[in-house]
Amino acid sequence: MAVAFRTGLFNIGAESQLLVGAVAAGAVGARFGFLPGPILFPIVLVAGIGAGAAWAAIAGYLKAARGVNEVITTIMQNYIVVFVIHWLLQNGPMTAPNALGTPASAPIGDGAVLPIIIPNELVPLTRLHAGIFLAILAVVVFWFVLWRTPLGYELRAVGLGARAAAQAGIDPRVHTVIAMAIAGGFAGLAGMIQVTGVFHRVFDGFSAGYGFDAIAVALLGKNSPIGVVLAALLFGAFARGGSIMQANAGVSAQLVSVIEAIVLFVIAAELIVRILARRRGPKPLEAIA
Amino acid sequence: MTWEQLIGAGVLAAMLRLATPIALAALGGVIAERSGVVNIALEGCMLVGAFFGVVAADRTHSVVLALAVAMAAGAVLAGVHAVAAIHLRSDQIVSGMALNILALGLTSFLDYQFYGNTGTPADLAAVPDVEIAPLAAVPFIGDVIGHQNTIVWLTVVLVVLIQVFLFRTVPGLRLRAVGEHPRAAETVGIGVRRTRYWAVLASGLLAALGGAYLSLSVAHSFTDGMTGGRGFIGLAAMIFGRWTPIGALVASLVFGYGTALSFSLQGASIGDVRVPVQLLSTLPYVLTILAVAGFVGRSRPPASDGIPYETEGH
Repeated sequence: MAVAFRTGLFNIGAESQLLVGAVAAGAVGARFGFLPGPILFPIVLVAGIGAGAAWAAIAGYLKAARGVNEVITTIMQNYIVVFVIHWLLQNGPMTAPNALGTPASAPIGDGAVLPIIIPNELVPLTRLHAGIFLAILAVVVFWFVLWRTPLGYELRAVGLGARAAAQAGIDPRVHTVIAMAIAGGFAGLAGMIQVTGVFHRVFDGFSAGYGFDAIAVALLGKNSPIGVVLAALLFGAFARGGSIMQANAGVSAQLVSVIEAIVLFVIAAELIVRILARRRGPKPLEAIA
Repeated sequence: MTWEQLIGAGVLAAMLRLATPIALAALGGVIAERSGVVNIALEGCMLVGAFFGVVAADRTHSVVLALAVAMAAGAVLAGVHAVAAIHLRSDQIVSGMALNILALGLTSFLDYQFYGNTGTPADLAAVPDVEIAPLAAVPFIGDVIGHQNTIVWLTVVLVVLIQVFLFRTVPGLRLRAVGEHPRAAETVGIGVRRTRYWAVLASGLLAALGGAYLSLSVAHSFTDGMTGGRGFIGLAAMIFGRWTPIGALVASLVFGYGTALSFSLQGASIGDVRVPVQLLSTLPYVLTILAVAGFVGRSRPPASDGIPYETEGH
């Protein structure tokens, strides 16, 4: 998400990229479930990230080569993925008998399952799994790529001013595709973690709107790695706290979505204020004169 | 698989029913974007229209008042977007998405506050169907259009009216000029911002009418997030219909037909192969991507679509 924002792209498709990553991880994890963990897990990891990246790169390509607004493409992609998953699980190749009551795929191999590091017995209502390490690793990689590599510099340059970057010999179109692919890779990783850490399979209605929240998280985190982590924790607390409040205190969980909505709206309003403040400042040329 | 399942009267009637809310959202999109403002808050406008329509129908027992309240709610939400997009020149996508999430949270919360877990009342005032007596007896046609909802017909009328307004009247020409070249429009004395405000408000009214259709004509109730992305599909129909009302209606019918087919072909098979109805449902979205990418026909948005306008001398 945040990677794409940095290059000035607005990626609404995180939801579908997450789902594609989850489906790829679930399919590969189940198909090659007989392999031992050290071999299986990297394959599932690559499948999840790769599928998310490839799916997002389509939107990046259409933007770069055909000038199609990525918002339109990614929203359309969200719907396409939802229906394709319905098909895959209801009467497509991934349909498997199960006792969940909803259409679901076969479970992934044990080797690909992320171990749980804090079991329910220790701290109730958590299922903290090793995915947290993958997430932390992803944040570090994100920071390193964006701030410590030539590619990251070029991506940020395109985000700050595509035309100026082009003058400096950076092709904005290539970087549009790369940025979307990286963003899709992170979303695919998120989907892969959901499959390997929490559900161990893909089922109908898998996504609980994580991708939608990601837009809010990236905006709130202002696209910096630390900010994204803090914002993700806040929204995680919203989601978790919402259901606990409803169970224990009779407080509506919808209140949480209202608060989330207000948070996002305040962010938007804050953006607006910043735009206004910049307008009021002296223009560069006048400042020199 | 039978012909009845493909083009039976039941399928065509369902197509009209399913296309109506999409067409209303698409009409709103056409007006807003022709004036140069991208309004992806249409989804949120539909949702508040659906909800406040139900609340008003419950409190007043009047369909007319319910529709009025619904459309007013849509206009209020669109008004916020208009201020952000036109006056404050903020990112129209960010503002629109924020309003969509706000609408989802607000309606879910108020739904819970007003109606708790029991759902909205069962005896809501409903928008009546139009019974066309002479047609009802005609075999095929009677089944398709003999008793469609009032809002279905209203939508057809609105499509024609807005098509004529945009392309055959002076105010319509001015609105399009504002969307294509606002500076030139202002030079000849057209109020760019005023025109855009009216266009965005109108888009909110239309989308909210589509939302009220869902809750007061089809479902006779409100459920959280019941618009299910139809506002976004409306935007797709607008693009596929090349930013014209009639094109948007045709695109909406195509989308509606796809959905109607996926219902009627449920469990159908060709030979031994089950028809993958879910894949059929992806057709509108695939078509839209191909259309905007220029692979299917040419599709060009208004030149100043989504670009905030600033008068000179600032």
